[in-house]
Amino acid sequence: MSESSSDKLLGRRRFLTRAVLGGGAAIVGATALGALTPQAAQAAAQRTASLGPGQVDPNFAEGRIVSVNGGMLMVSGSDGTLHRIAVTNGTSLWKLRPTTLDQAKVGDGLYARGVRLPDGVLAADAVWFNIVNLETHIVAVGSKALQLDHRGQRIVGNVVPGTTAAVYNGTPAVSDLSLIQVGRHAQVIGAWRPDTNQVDIATIHTAA
Amino acid sequence: MANAQPPSPATPMTCEASWFCCGTAWGPCGGAGGGACGNCNSGSMQCAWPNASQACFDETRPDECGQSLLRWGCGHTFYVGGLCNGANITVSIADCGPHTNYWCGERTCCGNGKCATDRLIDLTPAAFSHVSSLSNGLTAVSVHS
Repeated sequence: MSESSSDKLLGRRRFLTRAVLGGGAAIVGATALGALTPQAAQAAAQRTASLGPGQVDPNFAEGRIVSVNGGMLMVSGSDGTLHRIAVTNGTSLWKLRPTTLDQAKVGDGLYARGVRLPDGVLAADAVWFNIVNLETHIVAVGSKALQLDHRGQRIVGNVVPGTTAAVYNGTPAVSDLSLIQVGRHAQVIGAWRPDTNQVDIATIHTAA
Repeated sequence: MANAQPPSPATPMTCEASWFCCGTAWGPCGGAGGGACGNCNSGSMQCAWPNASQACFDETRPDECGQSLLRWGCGHTFYVGGLCNGANITVSIADCGPHTNYWCGERTCCGNGKCATDRLIDLTPAAFSHVSSLSNGLTAVSVHS
């Protein structure tokens, strides 16, 4: 399987975020994000470089959206931490597929990576809304959904026409789901439908 | 099928890496808990290792894929390099996994042509997102102690 070009894109966005944060020419971005100085941007980069094993990553956040105000997401972390996450035109957004900020809804779960500013705001390079990566067993196969077992819990995996893809034995992703078999294990990357036991499947990895 | 060497400073290995959630979490991850070591947290620089204990090894069976991995317990540090983006991170063992034997021979390649075979380490979302996009689900890495 070949990785998509999203890594290159994400790397470029990280570069752009840092350029916005540290560059004097990017006045609009810097103002919107709290006018981070080059020194502060450098300090943030050094914090990342010195991040030790097991440590909480200050430049990462998870939780559920409690409000969306312009480009600022207020997020309640699962551990009770309140995060402010700034989204700019340079932020990579994913919700089942690459998406736009208007698709971010109150109640969505998320993971975000970026640069933590001195005022506590996380300037996001990338935000993944509702993303899950589940290790499952396939219980039943239908044309519109798969029944999956995940750690003893039943999960409904919805097939999304035009989006859902299957990777069989590590081969390139295909839209043909006909080789999915009951009883096989499967890794499902998808988007959770908040407060349900359902996910929309982006990619399912399984054995043919 | 590649036969990775036990990861040590002298013999770094390449393998596939996926990601998993743990600790307090939302959605289907909500019941994940603190993992085999009790302190696993999606936001921390941590990993799961298939030979974190005998009980863990009995579940993951990397040997069925021809992989002879050293046993390293909770808190052991690995140095992980992203073969696709060149990022380097350090992580500590906080859980057991992945189920290596479910995916024997599976191969993941980067856009730069670098490839890796077999799932020998899982990373928390915080760690994985340094070396790849979470939406990729899998990536190729190098690992050494």
